[in-house]
Amino acid sequence: MRRKVRVDFDELNVGESVAYILATEFGLKPNIVKAQVNDDSSGLMIFIVDGEEELLDKAMGRLKSMGFEVRDLEKHITRDKARCWSCGACVSICPSKSFTYDPETWEVHLDIDTCIACGSCVTSCSVKALKLNI
Amino acid sequence: MAKTYEEINEKIRSKKAVVCTAEEVVDLVRKKGVEKAAEEVDVVTTGTFGAMCSSGAFLNFGHSTPPIRMTNILLNGVQAYGGLAAVDTYIGATQMTEDSEKGYGGAHVIEDLIAGKDIHLRATGPGTDCYVRKEIDTYVSLDDLNEAYLYNPRNSYQNYGVATNTSDKALYTYMGKLLPKMKNASYSSAGQLSPLLNDPHCDVIGIGTRIFLGGGEGYVSWQGTQFKTDVEEVGGVPVAGARTLAVIGDMKQMDPYYVRGLDIHGYGISLALGIGVPLPILDEGVMARAAVSDEDLFAEMLDYSLPSGRVPMARYSYAQLRSGKIEYQGKTIRTSSMSSYAGAKKVAQELKDRIERGEFLLNAPSLMLPKAGSVKPLKVREARRCAER
Ligand code: SF4
Ligand code: SF4
Repeated sequence: MRRKVRVDFDELNVGESVAYILATEFGLKPNIVKAQVNDDSSGLMIFIVDGEEELLDKAMGRLKSMGFEVRDLEKHITRDKARCWSCGACVSICPSKSFTYDPETWEVHLDIDTCIACGSCVTSCSVKALKLNI
Repeated sequence: MAKTYEEINEKIRSKKAVVCTAEEVVDLVRKKGVEKAAEEVDVVTTGTFGAMCSSGAFLNFGHSTPPIRMTNILLNGVQAYGGLAAVDTYIGATQMTEDSEKGYGGAHVIEDLIAGKDIHLRATGPGTDCYVRKEIDTYVSLDDLNEAYLYNPRNSYQNYGVATNTSDKALYTYMGKLLPKMKNASYSSAGQLSPLLNDPHCDVIGIGTRIFLGGGEGYVSWQGTQFKTDVEEVGGVPVAGARTLAVIGDMKQMDPYYVRGLDIHGYGISLALGIGVPLPILDEGVMARAAVSDEDLFAEMLDYSLPSGRVPMARYSYAQLRSGKIEYQGKTIRTSSMSSYAGAKKVAQELKDRIERGEFLLNAPSLMLPKAGSVKPLKVREARRCAER
């Protein structure tokens, strides 16, 4: 199975390498799509990881035990389809190219799997159809 | 072979009219040629669905007992004009609520009215011998109003510049979010579907032309404000903003799908509106112009980080713009639009369906739009003395 995970850290565990632990202790290969450290040494990291459910659960448990806050991202970006008028304002600003035009109807599609939860699109939408839930 | 409005309307009435959208007609003309296509097709439908800031609605509330002469009017907290007769008002699309945090404005009041929602009306007046009431606080819906019609002084811009940003910080504009260092560019025209790009010199669109406006029937009422003709053309079509339309239409016929309040981050309120204009294929000339495709239509890229004096940086076809990326000095810029091409397609298709069903007849203009026009800038100057006037 594939999971998209958000890990929040603070100044106490900012020095620990999440990716290193996942790789050496669990043989997982996380693909880090976003990492951010704030001035106060808090920050967040978002990665995508493939593996057996049991193994993933164990690995996440290990991260939690180290003081990281760990959350699965599922519906991290949502779009109210009835509000969306397919203007396209979100299309060219998304860093992960998660929005595309349908070549036939020119309706705007959102691919949540590629979304890295950056939040950039939220303010680009003039009808408040997009919501970031992280 | 020339056709007349009456002949076309006769075919529409008997449900025999051949109607194509401005998109469909591109291929038809490529395959069959202009002459054959002009013979076969009676009407080409165009469409656009974009932010049209210069829009608003005239409303009449009817008289209360006792009556009031409203001079200060709020609709869901949005100021409407109080300088008309007692219970008439005009609500402008871009007017914001006092609480600008809310992201609600005149355009949303218009959308909510068309959606049949109750609107909170609060008004005050001076109280006069003939209008004794001084204040009123009530709710109104579209059904309660005597008249409600959009009257938009400038809609359906013929063409529009492509916005980019060369500066180091993101800009929030009416053309959307513009990323720093030209990472993206935003355009705003339905290109080959756009009404005024398919009749570039307004040979058939004129005052009185019946149009699709926000889901109902409307009319071209005048040339739009900032109507200009002295714009560079490629293949007979302007490459920048040129002609515009003033339009009018009954809100009671409209559909909220095609009339939407927008809150454009960092800019303000605007109205997204679907407009479609049917073009009567009176002769080959009309047909040839309506068959224009995105490959032949161009727009110029402008740097929105400059406050004014924006010089065109490059020119792109709508086919390039719609491909999702353009090149500028060896750099790839991602593109997307600020107007809905999906919506423009729906408008043109819906108008086509109505004409095919015999429900929408063409109206010949009673007056053509000006053949020449230019736009003057606003000068900051001292008052002239009487003798100089
Ligand atoms: S939050 Fe929005 S802009 Fe950011 S990656 Fe996801 S879809 Fe794209
Ligand atoms: S910006 Fe909003 S309305 Fe426009 S296409 Fe994206 S989600 Fe839809």
